[in-house]
Amino acid sequence: MSQILENPRGGCVLAGICSVLEAIDKVCPVYHAGPGCCMQTTAAEQGQSGHKSACFVSGVSVPSSNMLEREVVFGGTGKLKTTIQGAVDIIDADAYFVLTGCTAGIIGDDIVSVTEEFQSRGYHVYPIETPGFARDSNLGYEVVWNTMIDQVIEENVPKDDKLVNIFGIVPYHDPFWSGNLEEIERILDRLGLKVNTFFTKHRGMEDIRKCSGAALNIIVNPWLFKEPAKKFEDKFGVPSIRVSGLPIGATDTTKFIWQVAEALKLDRNHVEKIIAQEEDYVYNYLAQAVGVVSWKRFAVVADANNAVGLTRYLANDFSFTPVLVIISEPIFREEDKQRIIEQISDMEYAKPPKVLFTADQYEINEAILNEEEEITLVLGSSNEREVGLIKDVQFILTSFPMNERLVFNRTYAGYRGSLTFTEDLYDNL
Amino acid sequence: MTNIKYSGVRESKPGRINDLGTTSKEAEENFKKGCLKRADRSFAQGLQCQQINSMAALMSLEDSVFISHSPQGCVGCSIMAVDMFRVGQAHRGIKNIKNPRIIVTNIDQKSVVFGGEEKLRQSVKKAVDRYHPKLIFIYASCASGIIGDDIDAIAADLQKEYDSLIVPIHCEGFKSKVCASGFDAAFLSINKYILKHEKQTKEKGLVNLFAPTTVSYADQREMERMLSLINVKVNYIPFYSSLEKIKKIPAAEASTSICKVFADEFMKTLWEDYEIPYSHTVMPIGIRNTDKWFRGIAKVLGKEKEVEGIIAKEHERIEPLVARIRERLEGKRVFICGGTGRSFAAAALIDDFGMKLVGLETPTYDEDAQVDIEYLNGIHKDFVVDIANMQPFEQVNLVNKLKPDAFIGVPEWAAKLGIPTTHVLDGKRPTMGYDGLLYLGNKIADQLENPGFNVKLSKHVKLPYKDSWYEEDAFKYIEGGN
Repeated sequence: MSQILENPRGGCVLAGICSVLEAIDKVCPVYHAGPGCCMQTTAAEQGQSGHKSACFVSGVSVPSSNMLEREVVFGGTGKLKTTIQGAVDIIDADAYFVLTGCTAGIIGDDIVSVTEEFQSRGYHVYPIETPGFARDSNLGYEVVWNTMIDQVIEENVPKDDKLVNIFGIVPYHDPFWSGNLEEIERILDRLGLKVNTFFTKHRGMEDIRKCSGAALNIIVNPWLFKEPAKKFEDKFGVPSIRVSGLPIGATDTTKFIWQVAEALKLDRNHVEKIIAQEEDYVYNYLAQAVGVVSWKRFAVVADANNAVGLTRYLANDFSFTPVLVIISEPIFREEDKQRIIEQISDMEYAKPPKVLFTADQYEINEAILNEEEEITLVLGSSNEREVGLIKDVQFILTSFPMNERLVFNRTYAGYRGSLTFTEDLYDNL
Repeated sequence: MTNIKYSGVRESKPGRINDLGTTSKEAEENFKKGCLKRADRSFAQGLQCQQINSMAALMSLEDSVFISHSPQGCVGCSIMAVDMFRVGQAHRGIKNIKNPRIIVTNIDQKSVVFGGEEKLRQSVKKAVDRYHPKLIFIYASCASGIIGDDIDAIAADLQKEYDSLIVPIHCEGFKSKVCASGFDAAFLSINKYILKHEKQTKEKGLVNLFAPTTVSYADQREMERMLSLINVKVNYIPFYSSLEKIKKIPAAEASTSICKVFADEFMKTLWEDYEIPYSHTVMPIGIRNTDKWFRGIAKVLGKEKEVEGIIAKEHERIEPLVARIRERLEGKRVFICGGTGRSFAAAALIDDFGMKLVGLETPTYDEDAQVDIEYLNGIHKDFVVDIANMQPFEQVNLVNKLKPDAFIGVPEWAAKLGIPTTHVLDGKRPTMGYDGLLYLGNKIADQLENPGFNVKLSKHVKLPYKDSWYEEDAFKYIEGGN
């Protein structure tokens, strides 16, 4: 199932699960895994995401059974029990999730009966049985939400027709996740909605438990969250809409607002008023720097969500010329690939760029170096700086893995984020 | 005796322990009496595994491909070495900065059931087709080890097909609690697959200088400057090095290392297999350690007299400057937290500045540690010793009780307690030798005099531990050992 990859982007499924959980306030993962897994998985995701890591626990502060030869041979559930006991005794968390590394997965330790023992004593300890080798970190995001749906989110929560849940923006795997969620919340808040981002403003387990009371799930991602969305609707009756790419700039953000407004049947006049104000805010700035950023023919290397957003903004709103878009995460379903290609091909004026799906660094480099059409700007991760240098063209660090940049709440999403993105495009050379 | 081969697992050495909470006086006495026994923690936080070290040690080698026979997560920490490699190139004036070539075989469910051999073979083929490298390293992982993939046999078989030298490294994480074992695993394979016990004509004045990935270019230049004063030509390995430089190892007149736990075992092997004498002392941070390190290698080369003259001159140059730093730091109480090399180096360094040690965390206790502890006990009053691979929960407990004026180590948790923090680990700036000492001293003094960030941070942010934890015995989860 997993491909051989050169310079892989992000970690295993354990890394994905851990990073998503740590982005929730006061949640503590407990590893039943090998001795290096806490450090490795944290470095794989948070360590490559603009140098921001979870404030509560992360890396070497995560409790771990550190399975050595003895546990490999004799089993490690005894060690796991004392590890969980220590965790609940000293770490002031609202919930503990027991995760499995390859070692626990291969030797087949039964973590469910261990966690049940703690649950029967009143502790919020949940098992997640998905060992590291199961796949990459994207799956981790879905595994976390499947776990929440199966074990945490409450049924029969009173409905709130103004409450929406945001899914699809993956903490840390998208270095701008905080800022993206904040901008989306800001916009939806202006429409009069209450927004569950789950990962910002100290949102925690209580927000998750009650999120089945939402009127709508908004999935901001062209492919992730298919299975959890279905489970969510089946179990809690909350429908989902899919926004097939991060909205960046006035065109796509306005489209995003209308998609939400129609799903929730919001007052059109109010929506129009907000859109007019937001668009005016953007264009008032853009009008002050017309012709300042020199025209470019660009290539994008990013995860699908950002690749769609960045390409569409630059081509549709900023009149740059799209040449090549490389989706640098493994996408398994053909229908997902088609949806992504549609988003990138459906341009207002520009000729659609070529679209390539590969997560392998060698193939990415070759595609950019061998592209027949001229490229004068590369948007990519820290891994693409090398190919940018070889081509001797402008390079902007926009995607994961992101190392040469510190990111707190920076965003390219929405109306305001598009201005930040445009600022970053400026090149005085 | 010579027939017993070292396995590369650091715990296999008698008298070396990893889990202990004690005081420096007790540690010294109990070690002498042979009373320090192996223990364990019933609760622990994440460790650094040996695979991380094996990969980091070699990742800056030229013309190499690094294959991790593992799921994708096991190359997570390689980002630290990747970053060092990229920044190191920038510091060395390279314009077109390269990525290291890392390939992960991505062991998955199918491999767990049927074995990962095919994926490994394909990965090696890709490495050759894409880069025709001189070296291909294959790193084992917990998963590859447990499912029983025989990377040695696969490598030997593939070697018949390809010109690239294929070097398997046994760094399965579950084999050791001491991450420095990963350095040894890498060197064992370098000896077995590259040097192959072939002796070479000695090159006069050539010295192997073993450097791990955390050594900055500034530090490399300072080490080379110091060694050039005693007419040494440095073979700087394996950091920013090449197959050619590795092959030169047996031609050296002597060896030394920058870090206490880097290539220390390998230098013994080089003595046994190639008759290369070596100096194993300390990390050259601070006056005492720099002198000791310098004298160590000079002695091996028979240059004791020359080096004394140089040391005297260097002291004359820097002592007045150190005295000025000392005025700013005298009497400050310090808690130190770090890897084996840097933690003891920091402990020696603070004596240059008249600071007092109240607590020390270091990953292992052994003969080497005993030498340092005896020395430190001679200077400081009894201090707390926490033998731990990381385990920040113990250190926050101790720091909160001891209330030191300064914390030397990775700053995150101590900063959130409001303690002024500083560090002697900096892979991008100077820390070593006589010049590094001044940079470091000024940094420490400046950081401790201006702790506003940590003070304010601690008022807004709480660490994840319950208040009750701070009242408990920091070492309550350590079991056995007595």
